[in-house]
Amino acid sequence: MDKETLRRLELLNQLRLTEEEKASFMKFFDERYEDACSLDSIDTSAVERMVHVMPVMTVVREDVVKQNFAREDLQKSAPETDEGYWCVPRVVE
Amino acid sequence: MKKYTVKTETLAECKFVADDMILTKDIPTTAGSKMLDGYVSLFEADVLTRLFDKGYGLAGKTNVGEFNFDLVGETSYNGAMVEDGIIKNATASAVKDGEADFAITLDVNGTNRRATAQSGLVSVKPTYGTVSRFGTIPVACSGETVSIVATNADKCKEVLSVIAGHDDKDGTSLPQKEIDKIKEEKELKKVVVLKSMLKGINSEVSEKIANVCEILRKNGVEVTEIDDSVIALSNKAWNVLMSAELCNNVSRYDGVKYGYRAQNFVGIDGLYTNSRTEAFGLLIKSAILFGSETLSTSNYMKVYDKCLRMRRVIVEEFAKMFASYDAVLMPTCSTFAYTQESVQKDMYMPFTENFYTAPASITGLPAVVVDGVQFVGNAFSENSLLSLAKVIEKEGK
Repeated sequence: MDKETLRRLELLNQLRLTEEEKASFMKFFDERYEDACSLDSIDTSAVERMVHVMPVMTVVREDVVKQNFAREDLQKSAPETDEGYWCVPRVVE
Repeated sequence: MKKYTVKTETLAECKFVADDMILTKDIPTTAGSKMLDGYVSLFEADVLTRLFDKGYGLAGKTNVGEFNFDLVGETSYNGAMVEDGIIKNATASAVKDGEADFAITLDVNGTNRRATAQSGLVSVKPTYGTVSRFGTIPVACSGETVSIVATNADKCKEVLSVIAGHDDKDGTSLPQKEIDKIKEEKELKKVVVLKSMLKGINSEVSEKIANVCEILRKNGVEVTEIDDSVIALSNKAWNVLMSAELCNNVSRYDGVKYGYRAQNFVGIDGLYTNSRTEAFGLLIKSAILFGSETLSTSNYMKVYDKCLRMRRVIVEEFAKMFASYDAVLMPTCSTFAYTQESVQKDMYMPFTENFYTAPASITGLPAVVVDGVQFVGNAFSENSLLSLAKVIEKEGK
């Protein structure tokens, strides 16, 4: 893990680490990455990927609304609202 | 750290606690994260509805480490629960202290299994897809499972019979006829111990494994020790998968719709970045960044895709084992006490200590913890595993 890659990851994930945290993370990353690369000792070229451990079937159900929440209830946990809208800083110049 | 995030009154004869990963209507759910401070769900988890319908009463919500991703709860934004320098798990403590008959938890990275082992309790992590995850905070969806912690195996069985069942609100819920297979109980007569999974355990844990083997043999169970190097690779693959899934799942937390919002920021990107930076702890931030990189163009095939293939290799290895044996016995943790000092020294221990819990997480197989050790069984064998646990319960301790 180099500093440039870490900066890209921070931007991508909308996060910032302190210099001390960066050092700690880089060590952690290198260890976990090395762990993952060590799995190359097992040849999986003929093995199919397994995304779900159990067979997943398409769930089919009637198109009927079962839960319907009021706007004011949905906004109870919002940090900032105004007249039924979620507030964010200006995004258009 | 508080044991409870919220204590509730109930007149029910049988009381339970739910950890703070389980959504409760009109009661805050924070997942142990500052990011969800003050969040109140408008609906409750399916598992709670099933329990309330049968007359069980909620005694409270217990504190968890951030997104239940850590060792035993040390990363909660309320701080760690420490007694005599040892980190305690709030959920297991509530059951151990007799404040609840059982607990409902979300097993993401083995936290509740380690806590069960360290508290001398019994827990069951059911087969993936048998208990609905609707209304749980999503973290590592392909392996996390709603689990039960109780004082004995019979209580685990009783609660499992209530909460297991198909739920069309959960896309990964199995059809009822598949779930019904957990009712087909059989006597487990052959247990296998994997030498590779005994790596890193201290003498106390090693002694516990030996004692349990002795009890099993005394009760007519054949115990065999074999070498197997594949199962021991589980956590290396699970660390990648759970981090990648965490990265995606927590991308929804942005300080706009609900939860924590930074006080100072410039522009919309500043709002997102400052809110997430101030709210997430370093363990979660690190897992997000690691998971994100494993999903990047340069690493997707080399790392993430590889781990999905490894998952199949591990599942097939277990299947081979279950052709000859009924259950696999393994430790749950390397030690029965995590000191505050050791955790402060290495905050990334959840990524190494999950060596013992990752095999059941990555495969979705059921796992029962009793007398400090863990039995992993074939899919739908949880009730059979709990009967085996009952044998240990009688003679262990």
